[in-house]
Amino acid sequence: MYRSRNRPKRGGEDEVKGPNSALTQFLREEGISAENIKQKWYQRQSKKGEDGKGGKSEKEQSTQDDDSTTQVSQKEVIEEEEVDDLELGSGSETGKAEIAYDARMNLVAADSDEEEYETNSASATPVNLSPAKNQESLIKKRQNTAKIIQNRRKKRKRAANLLDRRVNKVSSLQSLCIGKISKNISKWQKETGDSSKLVFNRLRDVLGGVSTANLNNLAKALSKNRALNDHTLQLFLKTDLTKLTFNDCSKVSFDGYKTLAIFSPHLTKLSLQMCGQLNNESLLYIAEKLPNLKALYLDGPFLINEDTWENFFATMKDRLEEFHISNTHRFTDKSLSNLLINCGSTLASLGLSRLDSVSNYALLPQYLMNDKFHTLSIEYPLNEEYVNDEIVINILGQVGSTLRKLVLNGCVELTDSMIINGLTAFIPEKCQLEVLSLEELDQITTDSLVYFFSKVELNKLKECSFRRCLQLGDMAVIELLLNGAKDSLTSLSFNSLKELTKDAFVTLTCPDLTYIDLGFVRCVDDSIIQLLGEQNPKLSVIDVFGDNLVTENAKTRPGLTLIGRQSDSI
Amino acid sequence: MSQDFVTLVSKDDKEYEISRSAAMISPTLKAMIEGPFRERKGRIELKQFDSHILEKAVEYLNYNLKYSGVSEDDDEIPEFEIPTEMSLELLLAADYLSI
Repeated sequence: MYRSRNRPKRGGEDEVKGPNSALTQFLREEGISAENIKQKWYQRQSKKGEDGKGGKSEKEQSTQDDDSTTQVSQKEVIEEEEVDDLELGSGSETGKAEIAYDARMNLVAADSDEEEYETNSASATPVNLSPAKNQESLIKKRQNTAKIIQNRRKKRKRAANLLDRRVNKVSSLQSLCIGKISKNISKWQKETGDSSKLVFNRLRDVLGGVSTANLNNLAKALSKNRALNDHTLQLFLKTDLTKLTFNDCSKVSFDGYKTLAIFSPHLTKLSLQMCGQLNNESLLYIAEKLPNLKALYLDGPFLINEDTWENFFATMKDRLEEFHISNTHRFTDKSLSNLLINCGSTLASLGLSRLDSVSNYALLPQYLMNDKFHTLSIEYPLNEEYVNDEIVINILGQVGSTLRKLVLNGCVELTDSMIINGLTAFIPEKCQLEVLSLEELDQITTDSLVYFFSKVELNKLKECSFRRCLQLGDMAVIELLLNGAKDSLTSLSFNSLKELTKDAFVTLTCPDLTYIDLGFVRCVDDSIIQLLGEQNPKLSVIDVFGDNLVTENAKTRPGLTLIGRQSDSI
Repeated sequence: MSQDFVTLVSKDDKEYEISRSAAMISPTLKAMIEGPFRERKGRIELKQFDSHILEKAVEYLNYNLKYSGVSEDDDEIPEFEIPTEMSLELLLAADYLSI
């Protein structure tokens, strides 16, 4: 993990943490404390008493030193002397100083500066009782500081947990173990050096008995720690895994992919995110050596060129059922047409996101012939005009009846026409749609969505996002909730719908809803949070970033967590 | 044997007694205890696990029982320590026990 709390401890107390500055830390390490300085001062004072003239000579000394302040090496000495000067000089104001001293002693326990206010005469006798008193207050102060540090640490931990969406207070033993393993995996690797292969063979023997779900969890944990590389990759070889997802492959070399292809022949679904090192050779290797591969999800494969894509799709002809690709400028219109010509009839799931060399999205409706087509995701085209109403309407006309997941995030050219003539027209009344994400479509309005929700029964809709569809108002939300979707929704996002008012939330009662994003919906306040908690029994997380009316006084039932509340920040 | 306690037996025949409610945290143990099996009597043999692994698992069950009920004041929960060298085998055990 990346947060400070998980950094390997360098040795307990040695770290700078909590409210301590580096200076405080330095002083502590060097053994310099207020108490030390004070004791030193007492010693010097008693010495002075013996010497008699000591004070004066020191004063003279210090003035001489003052002349030579430019000498950095003497600076510290001078400062110390100056403090003494001040004390000697304050002799005339004895009474005043004593009062101030007493007041300070009561208010601020064991303040390190207090000796400034002491006088020569005072130091001879009565002050000697203060060390004991000081000792006590010092301990007290330390306890206080420790408490403050602890509180801060707690608060920070809580904030970090909130951001990690760790709602469960007690994490499962499996996740604890996986965390531990992934934290140490690179360490083991370093320790064993060249013989690392053996270690990983052993690891794999042991892990062989772990369920595939946990292997995927391990992959997730490794990716999160950026610890997935050619060595750790070996954990996933020679297994019966059929589905494998790596969320961060940035450190896996092309050789790594090749070994993966050789030793995991059962894979049917492979997802490689951030696979920047995947090259032409390895991609073709994957196509060749994984005979059962049907689904491939790639993010960032920018080393693959046009020719290789052509080869790849030719190899995968009639085999590829799911293909999602994002973040590469080498996937061109030609590659897209290759994909569609070779695999268009078998494709059931297609995702195109942030492909800066693709403009001809109009090809899609001609080739998507599979009557089991279920997932379409077109996101963030380079130019908004590339994905317009006409194209989407044509695609929906082709596959709308079977669609289960539709994602059109960031296709900002789309308007109400797409909703009315596309969604409403081609999605059957009793539709199968489970995921609908129309993020950032700022041209669609409340009216068209109200029409859509009133015509189509979304009985299976689980996830719905209208993030930053800035024109949407209350009626769109209310109509969605009047729809059959109310009973099936588990996740909702109304992020940045600034037009919404409190009325929109009165009818928000979804029995299965677990997550809702209300970030930057300015009308949301404590009362709405309370209402949502009461009306939605399974709701566990509400995002409230940027909702300044949500305060620490918001009442939430147990099991419901607010994330992004201003008062929770560190 | 009291009904409120369950005994877990490790590979080397060491016995660990835990409260019934702690054992119920693990769906696997729960099924064993509630099912029509011999384990109903409160003695569960987990011979595939070494004693130190089982001990840690038992420690976790108690830890979970103690802290999962703690209300809003979640700051008081200490971290559950896992020795590095144990983590892999413990993962197997945790996987088996679904905890």
